[in-house]
Amino acid sequence: MTMRRAFALLAAFAVVALAAPGLAQGTLVRFTGQLLDVGSGYVYFTTGAAFKLAPTVAYNDYDTGKPTTLRPAPKLFARAVLDPGTKQVVELDLTKKRLASDTTYAPDVQSAVATKPTVTSAPEIVGVRVTGKEVPVEFVVTVPPTTPINATVYLSTDASGWNPQAIKLDRIDGSRYRVVRRLASGTKFVFRVTRGSWNSVEVGEDGLEPPQPRQFFVTESDSRSYPVTVYGWSDNRANAPQGAQPGAIPTPFNPNPFPPGLYPPSRATPPGGFPTPRPGFPNKPPR
Amino acid sequence: MRLPFLFAFAAVVFAAATATATAAPASLDITARNVDFYYNRFIVTADGDVRVRLSDGTVVTGQTFTMDLKLNRYLIAGNVHVDGPGIHQVGAGWAGYPDLDRTFFLPEGVEPIRYTYFGSDWTNPHPGREQPGDAFNFPDLTGERPYIIASGVRIVPKTNALFTLPRIYTAGIYTPLPRYVVTFSANPHYFENAFPGGRFDVGLPFNGSEHSLTALHIRNEPYNGTFLAFDQHFVWDKDYIVFGVDPLTQEQREYNLIGYKRESPGLETRLFLQESAAQPGIINRPINAAGYAQLQINAALKRSGISYTEDNYYQYLLGFKPPADDTQLVYVNPSYDPRWREHPMQAQLIWTGYENRVTKSIPLLFRLRSGVGLAHDIYGEGGFPNEQPGPPDSFYHRVGGTVYTPAIKVAGNVRFTAQYDREKTWFNVPHQTDLADTRLTLSDALQKAHLNTFLSYEVRNTADYWGAQQLAAYPVGTAAGGCIAPAYDTCVTQWGTFSGQDAFRGLATLRALVAGLIYTPSAAFAFSAQIAKNKDFPAPIPGIYGQPPYQLSLDVRVRVSRQILLDLSRQYYFNFAGERWTPQLGLQISP
Repeated sequence: MTMRRAFALLAAFAVVALAAPGLAQGTLVRFTGQLLDVGSGYVYFTTGAAFKLAPTVAYNDYDTGKPTTLRPAPKLFARAVLDPGTKQVVELDLTKKRLASDTTYAPDVQSAVATKPTVTSAPEIVGVRVTGKEVPVEFVVTVPPTTPINATVYLSTDASGWNPQAIKLDRIDGSRYRVVRRLASGTKFVFRVTRGSWNSVEVGEDGLEPPQPRQFFVTESDSRSYPVTVYGWSDNRANAPQGAQPGAIPTPFNPNPFPPGLYPPSRATPPGGFPTPRPGFPNKPPR
Repeated sequence: MRLPFLFAFAAVVFAAATATATAAPASLDITARNVDFYYNRFIVTADGDVRVRLSDGTVVTGQTFTMDLKLNRYLIAGNVHVDGPGIHQVGAGWAGYPDLDRTFFLPEGVEPIRYTYFGSDWTNPHPGREQPGDAFNFPDLTGERPYIIASGVRIVPKTNALFTLPRIYTAGIYTPLPRYVVTFSANPHYFENAFPGGRFDVGLPFNGSEHSLTALHIRNEPYNGTFLAFDQHFVWDKDYIVFGVDPLTQEQREYNLIGYKRESPGLETRLFLQESAAQPGIINRPINAAGYAQLQINAALKRSGISYTEDNYYQYLLGFKPPADDTQLVYVNPSYDPRWREHPMQAQLIWTGYENRVTKSIPLLFRLRSGVGLAHDIYGEGGFPNEQPGPPDSFYHRVGGTVYTPAIKVAGNVRFTAQYDREKTWFNVPHQTDLADTRLTLSDALQKAHLNTFLSYEVRNTADYWGAQQLAAYPVGTAAGGCIAPAYDTCVTQWGTFSGQDAFRGLATLRALVAGLIYTPSAAFAFSAQIAKNKDFPAPIPGIYGQPPYQLSLDVRVRVSRQILLDLSRQYYFNFAGERWTPQLGLQISP
């Protein structure tokens, strides 16, 4: 009987002894994210949250759970296993594989965050919440009525190095051009409308170059339409469909009806066969 | 006496120091074991022994650096050490937001805390202040290939990044260069170019700063072949100067300069200077040089704008001693032309009105314009057969206007637009030109089929009236002046014989029927076709003037990857002058 009691006591002790650490730890909690740094006894995640490392913290491989040769470093992904009792990280599972970061903290995790909470608001931090999803954006450009029917119209953007022929538009009627582009929400689309060169770029209604390029912010929506009105082109400030310069025969397709030899030229030609000044404006994209 | 001076000196030093302390970093100098640039994302990363020097002299070191050039924010992480005026800190992450004029810092110490620095004032860390939730986030660059691998970079926020000893990914290999500048400024003036057109142009920008960009270009054009060119940009918020030498290595060279100044919101000036030189070698004296200058001043008026443009042509820029008598000069310089002494010029002043509605209820709009101008050439303006030589000065004034409708809904998605433009110009040489342009367009959008179609009919009349001098100004054969055979009623060219030319006596008419179709089933694919039927008077002569009677233009755009859009275009001329498909297949790659 005594022996039986002694065995029961021993068994109970063994059970308590085995269960004690678990009871002390409670239920372990986890936090997954990308590492910013490990130092001064803390692990920092890119959320800005820091967790205190237990003195005996184990660095394991995320997939196998076995000790790893990886050393904690910025950009690595990690799962921190926290002891809610001590609020310390007891295990850090590391991987180079991209992991979905926890965007919100479980209450137990929140209580373990060692970073002091912010107490002062920063009014300069404002923004529109966007996810970066692709949004079809329709640009409809109304051109001056004197724009030739076969003219090609482009959007030039900063994203394309301001190539004046970056995005080609399609004429859809007598006065409008159109293009649809898929842009990530949150994109600040900066552009100007051109006819293919910086010598034929849009000007304002007053004939002056707009001081700043147009800007369009892609908000979080299913689709967007952005109407644009071009009042004039820099190479045709008079908004005339065709020019008649003095000395030019009035056939717009024939700039020089009186070729050399037929009649005396009206302007001098420097000797040596070198052409007269070429009043041609640069028009090629730089790069 | 020395004390006030000392006070003044101290005040100046203090003021300067304060200004320095509160100014946002104007540049970042980064060195690391490895610096990468991802062009499609406009992201710079640096890894291993990262050292970042801010423009105020503060040095931040760490294990990794990343900067989003478009969002204009950067991050230094991993064993971060900050040393500068008034700061010596160790931390986990240092995030700079120049646009907010804030730097967010996670110091490593007894207890983690968030610091926020204002500007470059490192003396007050503003602990416990709210920070952006993603301040310390790294961008996801999975699957991205760096466009540039370098050992260092100097970043001027919102402007450019100058890479040292870069290797640039080109056609599957990384090509080493001594320096390379990537300009990502939202200011398009950095991209105003001082080069004329060419077949291709590869820029090698090798130097840049907050307001400048210097580049060599490898260019090709039919006349000069492949050559090197040079351009220099100076850019400010609203103003810019571009200077270009093209080609740098060939004899026939152009020196171009474009200057733009925005004096006020309602006034701008643009200057274009060009010297064309025959100049063997790079720095030798030219053996011939001519020049061209254009000055344009635009000003905003009440509900209108005014523009003055002046063109000057300089025939011969090299010095020479003018002879007492032109006839003697042939013995001194056989190629002397007395016209070298003069330079032709022309100027015009244009007024352009705003868009106005005829009435509030009728969808009819109009714009008016007018102008005056003059042209001067001591050896005669005009060039008309009945005015030989022409008068040295030609004055003219013009009046014009456009009446047009917006897109008017007819039924469903069918829309109609109409426009009529007329302009008359009167010259002191007794003639006047009368230009009229009428265009009607009908369009339809079949949205379910992703189709847009339009049909347009346009008539352009151009008339030059000389009164009793009409037939003298436009003698028979005028239109076919470039024919191989004697240009009378029949014109013979290498493409055939074209008759009926004598009918043209100064009045031309062009009629064009254009049909267009645009099919865009998705954002990744677009097909457009345009067919035009032109009926010109005088009838077109291939290679001399006129438009082909029939012309088909096709264009296909396919997005082959997230970053690359392929644009293929080609024209068909229906055997006009033996021409069918254009030999060139237009190809453009864009983002």
